[in-house]
Amino acid sequence: MYLDLNEHIVNIVIRSLYVSGVASLLAFITAIVLCYYYSGRSRRSIDLIASIFEALVGVPTTIIGLLVYYLLYPNGPLGFMRLLYTPYAIIIGQFLVALPIAVVSLIRQFYNVRKRIRELILSLGLQSSRVEIILVLRELTPILASTYLLAFSRCIGELGVAMIAGGAIEGYTSVLTTTIAVQTSMGNFEEALVLGLVLISLTLLTAILIKSLSKILAGAFHYE
Amino acid sequence: MKILVDNVWYSYDGVTYALRNINIYLTEPGIYLITGPNGAGKTTLLKVISLLLKPTIGRILIEGVDYWNSSSVEKTRLKSTIIFVHDKPLLVRGSVEYNVSLGLKLKGLSSNDIIDYYIKRYNLSDVRNKSIYKLSAGQLKAASIIRALVLRPKLLALDEPFTFLDNTRVKLLIEDLLNLADKGSIVIVASHYIYRDLVEKCKGVIELFMGELLSLKIK
Repeated sequence: MYLDLNEHIVNIVIRSLYVSGVASLLAFITAIVLCYYYSGRSRRSIDLIASIFEALVGVPTTIIGLLVYYLLYPNGPLGFMRLLYTPYAIIIGQFLVALPIAVVSLIRQFYNVRKRIRELILSLGLQSSRVEIILVLRELTPILASTYLLAFSRCIGELGVAMIAGGAIEGYTSVLTTTIAVQTSMGNFEEALVLGLVLISLTLLTAILIKSLSKILAGAFHYE
Repeated sequence: MKILVDNVWYSYDGVTYALRNINIYLTEPGIYLITGPNGAGKTTLLKVISLLLKPTIGRILIEGVDYWNSSSVEKTRLKSTIIFVHDKPLLVRGSVEYNVSLGLKLKGLSSNDIIDYYIKRYNLSDVRNKSIYKLSAGQLKAASIIRALVLRPKLLALDEPFTFLDNTRVKLLIEDLLNLADKGSIVIVASHYIYRDLVEKCKGVIELFMGELLSLKIK
């Protein structure tokens, strides 16, 4: 039996897009701030920071889910916030999942481009950090778009955090990956397959959309 | 503009010195050539004079002001009058026109006439709206030089400006540098290529060897 493309599925898709969209956006913005801040350091520092985040990329999402669970558990350090088994718990976890990959994708690029842009600005007789930021972001626009895409794909495709910290509560914290897992465990392979196709389609559509938008984004940083 | 290079030493690593005990005083507008073999310190000296590098020892006085020990307002004022052109063109993503006009835009100036003039003069009209990724090395070099010329700086420092340029563009560039010098600017050129026209008309030649000033001839 096919799972009807009804309100139920639409809700799961919207929830998945919302949770992963917010988490990846937060990770993306944090990565930009971190990378810009550290890009002024020495090459050795950049290599060290990049190595740390490269190692963090390999941390399984179940471990991150466990960490978030521990933090948000009623008796845990942040238990008073009562966020466990809410979409916010998934957002926190997916933020931690996406941040390392976003930083790894950006940090060396920021270092190289900022160095070049700083040299350019000074050679043109200017000393302006505002101009420097604008030009660096403008120069990095295609990479920024790819990085967001990478972060979003990592978020929407992860299962460990959504299952452990979100709890896969139907109609509240269930997202595409958790629903696929639940349906599969219940033996509803066809339903799981349909949702899997929806997930792949969403990822591809997002990729096309972001790549198309990257040119418009480049215009946004046009210095006039 | 007067430039005093006073007992300048420069080290990139704190161990070896790329420049040692350089003393130069440039008082009059004109073109000054910095010559010397590879590793002589030409680019380093050019960057120190252009205030891109802070001397490890010694000081640089521009119009009598010690730049590295001056206030931030004074620094901004002095820096705005100095333009440096890199040996490898430093351009940003975008069209030739965007890159050529970048300096003017960043300084809040606008002068389409002068941009048009130089783009035509250096035969870049056909690639005016093309991305810099589609240009030849010579076109990239010309674009980076034009970006500096349109700003009409009081001090223009060019590192190997003739590399990648064809003879026509070299001739045009020498004319433009002479024009700029005639209007009161100091133009400092570090180059391996010694063009007779330039040597005959330049105001001085600074010869470096192994980071030291070998000779200084001011006409």
